[in-house]
Amino acid sequence: MVRLEGLQHRFGQQKILQGINLEVHRGECVVLYGANGSGKSTLLALLSTRLTIRVGHYFLDDIDVNRYGDMARDRLLFVGHHTHLYGHLTPVENLLFFADLRGLDLSESRLRQAIDAVGLSRSADKPVQWFSAGMRKRLALARMLLAEPLLLLLDEPYSALDAQGVGWLNAMLNRYLESGGAVIMASHDPERVAALPHRPHHLARGQLSSMALPGESEPC
Amino acid sequence: MLKAAYRIAWKDVAGDLRRRATLSSMLFFAISVLVVFQAAFEPDRKEAVRLLPGLLWATTLFTTLVGLGRVFQAEEEDGAFEGLLLASVPRGVIFFGKWLGNLLLTLLVELLILPLTMVLFNVDAWTQVPAILGILGLGTLGLTGLGTLLAAMTRGARSRETLLALLLLPLTAPLLISGVQAVAGVLQPDGVVAPWLKLLIIFDLVYLAMTPWAFGWLVEE
Repeated sequence: MVRLEGLQHRFGQQKILQGINLEVHRGECVVLYGANGSGKSTLLALLSTRLTIRVGHYFLDDIDVNRYGDMARDRLLFVGHHTHLYGHLTPVENLLFFADLRGLDLSESRLRQAIDAVGLSRSADKPVQWFSAGMRKRLALARMLLAEPLLLLLDEPYSALDAQGVGWLNAMLNRYLESGGAVIMASHDPERVAALPHRPHHLARGQLSSMALPGESEPC
Repeated sequence: MLKAAYRIAWKDVAGDLRRRATLSSMLFFAISVLVVFQAAFEPDRKEAVRLLPGLLWATTLFTTLVGLGRVFQAEEEDGAFEGLLLASVPRGVIFFGKWLGNLLLTLLVELLILPLTMVLFNVDAWTQVPAILGILGLGTLGLTGLGTLLAAMTRGARSRETLLALLLLPLTAPLLISGVQAVAGVLQPDGVVAPWLKLLIIFDLVYLAMTPWAFGWLVEE
């Protein structure tokens, strides 16, 4: 479903990514590990279309993303370090804003259902500016329940979440993977990711290599 | 797509009315400018009619600059601008929504300051109010269109408000001159309006055709 061929990226003279090749199928979760500055966030920014791909090819659901970015954005959802929420709006209004920008025609009860599912029903009508980082993260992830994307891109999804939030997120991701969605996630937290069936990859010096899962031998 | 643009404009206008941030600053600024001008010139009726077009457009321009300085303020927090760019609508639609929100706030201020100006300067031209409002509105289309693009361009700059003014003033000078002349034409018995209106429309068309495309190009990284 996702195919990357020879993806490269540089900031000025500095090469960040050098020839990334990757295939991700439906129901698969790929986790990117790597040191700070190894290019994990850059790779996710390219996959989200936030950064433009200058060298290489990126296909999502057979769409050439370099050419048809708008169509691709319809099929993916990116949740990064920023939650993209407006502090002066309530969770219901924030989700309504998101739904309209994505062309989703959803009733208010559907929005409240999603807010309830992430455990924020008691704060559904309060401005988001008073929310903690964990509550904002939960609300950002509630978008996933509304959009039902084909590809979910997550940059450090466990940050700011408490133990209950981590459990809830992993349960949600497991359901999402079982329904045929694909996940590409950057994380520094193998213990929390362990609850998900996944393929770990390591990003170093701009190159991506597959890693062995704990208890597995190194891939050839 | 129109729904997306409407939602962006709604978010800006409703959010601003809720926080009373931009609109109140614009209004306060406009009233201050008018009061200072009135106190400085103390014009008689005849002089006031001559001054009114320039006064109105100067106030509109300064007030628009105040609004433009804050047009992307809501997008500063928590990566909201990035969130907009990740929406599955063309970037031109995002621009259209931001422009529409700014336009509505500016038109609202104009609607309030025009009668105030006429009272403060004792100008008896109430029958011309719809025509003057129409000209102001027409000029504001282009002014806010180009202004929204420049606001997006200077968004990350440290002294963005100064930079915005430096870029906007020369680029909108032809539009402002046309607007001043058109209002002057309305206020004078034998005034000429049509050619200035045509110029205003041409500038509007040029600015509004160019800016959504330029916005898409501007936000590419």
